[in-house]
Amino acid sequence: MKQILLVTDGCSNVGVSPVVAAAQAHAVGITVNVVGVVDQGDIAEFGTAEIEEIARAGGGLSRLTQTRQLSQTVQMLTRKTVVQTIQHAVQRELKHVLGASTIEELPPEKRGEVVRVIDDLSETSRLRVALLIDASASMKPKLHAVEEAIRDLALSLQSRQGGSEIAVFHFPGSAYGEDCKLDLDWTDNISGVHSLFPRLQMRGTTPTGPAILHVIDFYQKGDYGNRKNDETDGMMSDYVV
Amino acid sequence: MTTSFEWTLPRGTIIRGKWKQGSYRVDRLLGEGANGKVFLVERERERMLYALKIGSDTVDLQSEVNVLQSIARQKQKRSGGGSRTGAFLVDVDDFRGSDGKEHPFYVMRYIKGLTLGDYLVRNGKEWFPVVGFNLLGKLAELHEAGWTFGDLKVENVLVGDYGRPELVDYGGATAFGKGVRQFTEIYDRGYWNAGTRTADASYDLFSFAVLCLQLHESRRLAQLSAGLLPQTRTPDELAKLAATSAALKPFSGWLRKALYGEFANAREAAAAWQQWMHRAGTVPASAPAPRWMKGLFAVSAAVLATTIYWLLRSAP
Ligand SMILES: Nc1ncnc2c1ncn2[C@@H]1O[C@H](COP(=O)(O)OP(=O)(O)OP(=O)(O)O)[C@@H](O)[C@H]1O
Repeated sequence: MKQILLVTDGCSNVGVSPVVAAAQAHAVGITVNVVGVVDQGDIAEFGTAEIEEIARAGGGLSRLTQTRQLSQTVQMLTRKTVVQTIQHAVQRELKHVLGASTIEELPPEKRGEVVRVIDDLSETSRLRVALLIDASASMKPKLHAVEEAIRDLALSLQSRQGGSEIAVFHFPGSAYGEDCKLDLDWTDNISGVHSLFPRLQMRGTTPTGPAILHVIDFYQKGDYGNRKNDETDGMMSDYVV
Repeated sequence: MTTSFEWTLPRGTIIRGKWKQGSYRVDRLLGEGANGKVFLVERERERMLYALKIGSDTVDLQSEVNVLQSIARQKQKRSGGGSRTGAFLVDVDDFRGSDGKEHPFYVMRYIKGLTLGDYLVRNGKEWFPVVGFNLLGKLAELHEAGWTFGDLKVENVLVGDYGRPELVDYGGATAFGKGVRQFTEIYDRGYWNAGTRTADASYDLFSFAVLCLQLHESRRLAQLSAGLLPQTRTPDELAKLAATSAALKPFSGWLRKALYGEFANAREAAAAWQQWMHRAGTVPASAPAPRWMKGLFAVSAAVLATTIYWLLRSAP
């Protein structure tokens, strides 16, 4: 399973629309979740609408949160999306196997079996989360909370049974014209990493759309050569005999 | 949250299950949380009281039901059938609300009692050692069935007569070896950099130790967690707090072991607790402090206040 988790506090203002970029991610099997960090109600209504739309286009979820709830929100979104992705895959199979199209249609006894499968797969399937952090000037005071949330997410993922990896990006990059910069390549353990965002130069622009495209590219480069990687297809076959 | 729902069920509402037609009359709201609302209900005809939990996310609620069923099966296997107290989980069904939507619900035994914090306020802190011991017994039972409770905290322990505790909210219960998904930061081993979130016996014992601190030193615990940076949160800090607490003095050795994950399992932890429990009983805990000690306390309280002031000021 592949996710992008965008953490931002405002509107994109350069380049391709982030909604279009999120739709592209979704089209290639990457789910996009969005967390809007609002501290003094400082996100414009327009920003809120954009956040929701990015998540909808990306097949994911969005939440507004205060800095001190950031860790919890990040984990909740990640987990909900894992369950949802699996639920959709399971639901597809439900049609042939049980003749029902939703879990709610099943009587409670049968539901129990299906949910057990969903829970199992949520725990054991392989998961990659690319964290994409808005590092425009207004995010500066929030970055240490962001770093803490990332470390906390890493700890939870490490405690899963299935393999999990994270990567971290921020945008805009420090170099002129650079939309997005990789801070941490895929890893399953960040306890050795001292500081995720050392000496960041905060700049004014917010190229959210281009940054999402950059991360999609990164995912696809990594996938090159191991195409047979769609874990959600036919995963019920292990269970349904 | 998409899972919360705004409506409530007024007293007298009849909840009838769609599949099995079990029928319950609502008495009052018992509590609510992230996954739904819990009502006190009376089963029609039978006139017995139950707790009914109703949610809006079928998968989440069913997942909780699965845990309860699996624990019940494993306990039954161990005890060779026939349980002492009767089933905890009574019914699982769907209900069509006045909003026209269907909501999943399950019915469980009603636990009459106060949350642990309220219980000790009402009945006195001298109940703490025995309630703690009984609670460790509950955890041991659960662990022996292969489960970690996960979200152990003051609010999730209801205490009935004579200090008999029951755990409520199995939404955090996790099979050993899997990742704990529902937890409360301050009780969480990971939050204190004391280990992973992989479910095992020590995970609950760690939360149990924090629960003791929460009961006796809630202010200092809150100040501690607010004053530390994420990297400086360590079990050492909690152990220090335990060691300097007058109320927890007899248990500070025990707490240390729980915080560092040094108990092999909850039975061993309960046995160690029992030893301290008897010793705690022989110390007249409520004896008035001599005057000089009060003076000393005033001084150290002032020092503490200054330290906290500086901590808060220098925190980013
Ligand atoms: N069997 C029961 N008997 C009596 N009271 C109960 C019972 N189950 C739950 N309650 C009460 O209802 C409250 C909420 O229940 P519960 O914690 O299961 O909900 P939740 O949505 O899972 O909450 P949380 O957000 O804490 O996970 C409990 O704190 C408790 O006070």
